[in-house]
Amino acid sequence: MKRLSLLPLIAVTLALAACGSSGSNAGGGNASGSASGASTQGPTPSGGSKSGHTTITVWQGDTQTEAAAFKTLVAEFNRTHPSITVNSQFYGNSDYALQKVLAAIAGGKPPDISYLYGSWAPNIATNPQLVPLNKFIDADPSFNWNDFFPAERKVATVGNSIIGIPALVDNLALVYNKTLFKQAGIPLPTATWTWSQFEDAAIKLTNAAKKQFGWAYVNDASEDTVWRYWAMLWQAGGSILSPDGKQAGFDSAAGIKAMTLLQQLTSHHAIYLDNGSDNYLSVFQNGHIGMLWTGPWDLAQIIQSKVKYGVTILPADQNHQTISGPDNWVMFNNGSAREQAAWTFLKWLTSPAIDLQWVTLTGDLPVRASVSQLPGYKKYVAKYPGIGVWADNLNNATQARPQTTKYPKISTTIGQAVQSVLLGKADPKQALSQAAQQVNGILAAP
Amino acid sequence: MSAHSATPLAVHRRPSLLKRVIASDHLAGWAFVTPAVILIAVFAIIPIGWSALLSLQSTNLIAPAHYVGLANYRALTKDPAFRSAIGHTVVYTLLFVPISVGGALALAVALNRKIRGIRFYRLAVFIPLVTSTVATGIIFLWLLDPTFGLVNYVLNLVGIPQQQFLQDPNQALYCIVAMTVWSWLGFDVIIYLAALQGIPEDLLEASEMDGASRWSTFRSIVLPLLGPATLFIVVWSTINALQLFDEIYVTTRGGPLGSTTVIVYYLYQQAFQFFNGGYGAAIAMVLFLAILIVTLLQLWVGRRRVYYTS
Amino acid sequence: MSVQPAVSVPERFPRLPDAPAPRGRGRLPFSGWHLVLAPVAAIMLVPLVWMLIVSLESQQQATSFPPQLIPSSVHLGNYSAAWNAVPFGRFFINSLLYSAATVAGNLLFCSLAAYAFARIRFFGREVLFVVLLATLMVPFQVILIPTFLIVKNLGLVDTLGGLIMPNLCSAFGIFMLRQFFRTLPIELEEAARIDGTSRLGILFKIVLPLSLPALATLGIIQFMWSWNDFLWPLIIIQSQTHDTLQLGLSQLQGAHFTQWNLLMAGTLMSQIPMLAAFLLAQRWFIRSVAFTGIK
Repeated sequence: MKRLSLLPLIAVTLALAACGSSGSNAGGGNASGSASGASTQGPTPSGGSKSGHTTITVWQGDTQTEAAAFKTLVAEFNRTHPSITVNSQFYGNSDYALQKVLAAIAGGKPPDISYLYGSWAPNIATNPQLVPLNKFIDADPSFNWNDFFPAERKVATVGNSIIGIPALVDNLALVYNKTLFKQAGIPLPTATWTWSQFEDAAIKLTNAAKKQFGWAYVNDASEDTVWRYWAMLWQAGGSILSPDGKQAGFDSAAGIKAMTLLQQLTSHHAIYLDNGSDNYLSVFQNGHIGMLWTGPWDLAQIIQSKVKYGVTILPADQNHQTISGPDNWVMFNNGSAREQAAWTFLKWLTSPAIDLQWVTLTGDLPVRASVSQLPGYKKYVAKYPGIGVWADNLNNATQARPQTTKYPKISTTIGQAVQSVLLGKADPKQALSQAAQQVNGILAAP
Repeated sequence: MSAHSATPLAVHRRPSLLKRVIASDHLAGWAFVTPAVILIAVFAIIPIGWSALLSLQSTNLIAPAHYVGLANYRALTKDPAFRSAIGHTVVYTLLFVPISVGGALALAVALNRKIRGIRFYRLAVFIPLVTSTVATGIIFLWLLDPTFGLVNYVLNLVGIPQQQFLQDPNQALYCIVAMTVWSWLGFDVIIYLAALQGIPEDLLEASEMDGASRWSTFRSIVLPLLGPATLFIVVWSTINALQLFDEIYVTTRGGPLGSTTVIVYYLYQQAFQFFNGGYGAAIAMVLFLAILIVTLLQLWVGRRRVYYTS
Repeated sequence: MSVQPAVSVPERFPRLPDAPAPRGRGRLPFSGWHLVLAPVAAIMLVPLVWMLIVSLESQQQATSFPPQLIPSSVHLGNYSAAWNAVPFGRFFINSLLYSAATVAGNLLFCSLAAYAFARIRFFGREVLFVVLLATLMVPFQVILIPTFLIVKNLGLVDTLGGLIMPNLCSAFGIFMLRQFFRTLPIELEEAARIDGTSRLGILFKIVLPLSLPALATLGIIQFMWSWNDFLWPLIIIQSQTHDTLQLGLSQLQGAHFTQWNLLMAGTLMSQIPMLAAFLLAQRWFIRSVAFTGIK
């Protein structure tokens, strides 16, 4: 009968107990290891530097079209930069990615570059191994930091540190089904639409017998639920927090007005409530929803469907502001050679020409304003009809969500408030004052 | 030489201490469990210890942590959201365990026969089990969609008004119970089936020949003999039910209005959404203690009521 | 597969042939049980049927909501597209190695431990059992990071070994097998002890052969867990060549958009080994000659 030899196992366990497993790592020990050229501990080095040639690792969550596009770009970079090899790895989708990144950070060996959600920025910024990019940006005027849109720059900055380079930017615009509008005899939305016109149309487009809704809203109490409300709040002239950032600001008259709009539409059953699985897109594609507040990520699907669609900016109460959800490329310190290589790659990746290549392949929005001046831009806009509206709409994304480590808690609180109104369980004033109370408590806590 | 001194003196000498120790049950027992103990110690017990330490810290799992003693635990006692989570978890468990154990028993008995196609039926019961949680979540989200779902369509045909199901704070948790019972029934069924194989036919036939009805045979012979399996399934189902997470994650995400936020989901929110690693670990430790107490209670009851046939 | 113990069995427990089930009492031409089992099976089969339909639809149809249940055209190409979208073959093998190794490990180590817990009185037995059981009471999210750290310290990040080791033995298997072993008649084992068989010999020659249904059950369950495991492989695997099937399938799911037809085709293909394993193990569910020793 076979038996595994236990001795190696016991020895290893004792060794483990002796050196202990640390929960966090200042990372200092790694820096010297990789710079000297030796590959890092373990059978799979995540990067290294050997006599002028550096390998770096990039973690991202691209799938399908974007995965293919990224692979193409990485291959192009590797070809044109013989002294650097970029190793791109898929790290899972959405929240799973965070757990994987946290595990890597705990183990003291994060990747050189990682794609991270903008909402994680304030927390990730507390990691000592994160590389603040100010030194690179200040040393290189050709990089032109101001070419990135204001909302992006806000999300990439924590305090005085620039902690990442914008990887993705988007915003919310109004997508509508032309056929349904014609059937209901309503004039199509325009760039000067107001809330009352929007509300009116949504109600008119609702038809219970045909299982048709005027609007759709993601109602899973996550950030998806919250950020649409923020757009409405800003359009009504409100702000999320008080100017000093210490108190809730959303329970103002503007906030109540925005919430009341939701309540009105709910009472007419005009909203298709999506439970978070993004079914609203399929329902829209089948012609059962009149209008969506959505971003360019849905465009490829909408184009493929048979819906005759149109795109315009969001309706205004006092302004046409929209909200943007930028994500960042973040760099971790694994030694100066790898840091330099990582910067070279990021600069190349986010340069106007390469970014235009990316957006043309994927239908994402350009991260730099100067991309719209490039000759190939027209081709891009033509390839994805309507994308131009979103691209221009970036100028309406003037505000950003508060950059505080407490934001996720604030988001959950508001998400519940919005959800309670959408489910008809609370009235706007009630929901908002309760939420404000909770948020004040969150902000006051250490 | 007398005949009855044929046995050599050696037989009367007691075996050496070493030989006795080696032959002893204690050494044998520990030798048998050692591989398992080492693996579990390294890959489960040490990590749990690490988490216990984490529960005494304040950390976002990113920056270096600092110790705060029992502060996390004290905060838990004052946390109304945690109390809600406990309530939801308890309700869920009290529904899930009896329904799934009872249902599995009935189904296993039904599947424990040699009619034609029994393999197909067994396979059918097994299928929800192997269906990934993601796929199960998607299916149920579709089935229970208030406007377009199949269930409301059928209810409509018999005149019942549209239900909100997973979008209704009062119904969502019960829908989750239904979904998880459906998913996990096969698990308990195959364990019961394996246990039923151990009951000899002649016993059942003898009882029936004695004139006992099928039902009383079942109650007085089969059920007691299934005691060990039942204890196992009840303990395991309880441990699992108290740690419900995946199904919530792929459907309601703790909503609507927090009505399906169970303890582990709350823990996940704290640790991986709010970046409160230490607080999450404290929740885990409290849950661990609760499960331990419940399990010990169940095992104690089992010790007195379950009949092992040897 | 022989289920007769190696040790000779007293004649008072003759082996019965598998008797056919008696006919139902009603006048139905088939067993009445079909009326119960068929609807239950139908309910249980809903996902498989739905997945099958979606896997055969075009992208357009697959994303319609409410889902169209009658495909207007059959797209078998989805299966080959799913196979080629990610290195399916490679992932298949990785998943197979992972699952096979954890099944073998669990069957071996859990049997050894469970036998001791069931039959050997040793110092600290009850306390140790509870301690091991306690490891089931902490959700994986909590111990995810420390487990990763331990595997990293063993130098096994991004290896199959690192994937497998934390799952080689689970208290679940120990608990389950202990329960089953305790239902076996102790007379057989005592007889063998007297005959001088070592404890190890008893375990392998008497106890295990009588426990085939339980072992088959444990095997299937462990296989299923490893096969469907997503979170641990995600954390420990870093290069695509080592990815498992579940990781591969997740690449068919985008953040905002999923190719449902490909995903369902891929998922169905990935479930075939589990269903095959189940059908295989069903052979071991035949009545074994385990006696309860009731006089």
